[in-house]
Amino acid sequence: MLLEVRDLHVEFRTRDGIARAVNGVTYRVDAGETLAVLGESGSGKSVTAQAVMGILDMPPGRITGGEILFQGRDLLKLKESERREVRGAGMAMIFQDALSSLNPVLTVGDQLGEMFVVHRGMSRKDARAKAVELMDRVRIPGAKERVRQYPHQFSGGMRQRIMIAMAMALEPALIIADEPTTALDVTVQAQVMDLLAELRREYRMGLILITHDLGVVADVADRIAVMYAGKIVESAPVHDIYKAPAHPYTRGLLDSVPRLDQKGQELYAIKGLPPNLLHIPSGCPFHPRCPMAQDVCRTDVPPLYEVDGERGSACHFWRECLDG
Amino acid sequence: MAEPILEARRLVKHYPLMRGVLFKKQVGAVKAVDGVDFTLDRGETLGIVGESGCGKSTVARMLVNLERPTSGAILYKGEDVTRLSGRALRAVRRNIQMVFQDPYTSLNPRMTVGDIIGEPFDIHPEVAPKGDRRRRVQELLDVVGLNPEYVNRYPHQFSGGQRQRIGIARGLALRPEIIVADEPVSALDVSVQAQVINLMERLQNEFDLSYVFIAHDLSIVRHISDRVGVMYLGRIVETGRDAEIYDHPTHPYTQALLSAVPVPDPEAREHRERIILHGDVPSPTNIPSGCRFRTRCWKARERCALEVPALAVPEAFRRATGPAAHPSACHFAEEKHVVPSEQPE
Repeated sequence: MLLEVRDLHVEFRTRDGIARAVNGVTYRVDAGETLAVLGESGSGKSVTAQAVMGILDMPPGRITGGEILFQGRDLLKLKESERREVRGAGMAMIFQDALSSLNPVLTVGDQLGEMFVVHRGMSRKDARAKAVELMDRVRIPGAKERVRQYPHQFSGGMRQRIMIAMAMALEPALIIADEPTTALDVTVQAQVMDLLAELRREYRMGLILITHDLGVVADVADRIAVMYAGKIVESAPVHDIYKAPAHPYTRGLLDSVPRLDQKGQELYAIKGLPPNLLHIPSGCPFHPRCPMAQDVCRTDVPPLYEVDGERGSACHFWRECLDG
Repeated sequence: MAEPILEARRLVKHYPLMRGVLFKKQVGAVKAVDGVDFTLDRGETLGIVGESGCGKSTVARMLVNLERPTSGAILYKGEDVTRLSGRALRAVRRNIQMVFQDPYTSLNPRMTVGDIIGEPFDIHPEVAPKGDRRRRVQELLDVVGLNPEYVNRYPHQFSGGQRQRIGIARGLALRPEIIVADEPVSALDVSVQAQVINLMERLQNEFDLSYVFIAHDLSIVRHISDRVGVMYLGRIVETGRDAEIYDHPTHPYTQALLSAVPVPDPEAREHRERIILHGDVPSPTNIPSGCRFRTRCWKARERCALEVPALAVPEAFRRATGPAAHPSACHFAEEKHVVPSEQPE
């Protein structure tokens, strides 16, 4: 096992009270596997990833419980200097907005090379050569010349390739991609997702893909974890979840997406609004929006029930949900 | 056939590129919109899709007169609105309203919701007499599914989806005939997107509205549109009824665009042909000669660099009557199925 997150809790202190962003998240990723973490804004999907990466802003954030096991070690027990070793060489992250993630006053060559200077103690000249090699690997045409250019001289898709190159630089075992293609156009999106999938296969990396796009998930993921109000509400192999979701929230999400191959009548809409993290509803956090909610849902927090060996659903009525 | 309610003819918007401080001279132009034609019938939804930089938002801004076209005409019930000014222009504007993409920046944070929705009445007092305004605003809130008691709240007290409803209520205030919506749901979460789309469809029936719906999301455009125009680098490259475009595309760009859309169905990923385009969209300051798509097209031949393809039913389909016979600006147009059709169970 490459990464295992166990019962992770993260909260933020805000002026209005404590926002419980992550409330007991558990997931695992094996080498060479792609796990998609699906959720809407505020579901805690990015905060979980930031905690794994060790880049959570603390304060105001605080990890109040849980373990993050990476290659057998609990990352939360490591010193910051050891954490830094893991970051970059062990795991790396790709962000949504490549333009604001790159330094505008340094050439891309300097930024890519920095990885090798800092982590591998290479000379600047060798690091530059490595940077060119990396740019070739993510198929940026004319890498030799473009290595001297600045981020603003690249298009959105090319910048995201540079981010991928930077993440790949030290050949980490795990890559976390946080909405890597959300800011890109569809045709460029497809290019970038293909590249990511190819590199993952080639280097047998684990990939955590954080996204709100059900289409992207269906195209690349092996397994899905659906998050709602800081919890995993359903986790399953990708085929199962699309065929028969075992949680009403997953079902609602799938039904509310307009499809390219259908011209439906009215779209199914999940009623109500995503929960306020300062006041998460009692019992099952989804119950105020759930069409299947009963009294028990208002009082008892559902555990992640085992549906079968590989699936879990945090719904008291997962059997009814599976049956449609 | 009835006269279209709105028509764009050879619509062009070029932004000049200037150089020099004291003696400015024009060194080129950003050809944001470079000859767009379309018609919109009463009660109909025209979807315009395209990637960023294709000029779709500029078209929207010209339709509501936020931007003056460099050349071309916009006909509202046969009258060219680009030549109007003063009172006549104001009367037309009342009938063409806009809903913006970003519900966070398109509402003034210092105004209450009541003031935001009621502001159009200050400019067009004939629509609602002063004493009647508060009631009208509350009615509008109710129509878009918000609690009428919220009139005194400020935008920050609402979620993204609710703010977009406020934007829609403002658009409806003057009882327009046409609403131009520029990416109205792309900033919203999936579960909220569906609510807003359903609301827009309901309002269309209720108030007999015509929509120009601009978006980059092809699935949403299909869902809401009767007809669709696909834009690339300032021009419409293919247009037709929704089934013609989605099930029988003949322009290679449309085909690539459709094949790139991730479909939420993992079974489809095995038997789906994907066309991955190479490179990026060329700069609108330097549009390729002939067909503007040829630099990324896998079918491009010599003729494509020399001759600009017209947006018309391609020769190959001119005798045909099927769904493939719709306007497509390609010299080598041919039908290709790229959207996996629903498998019967």
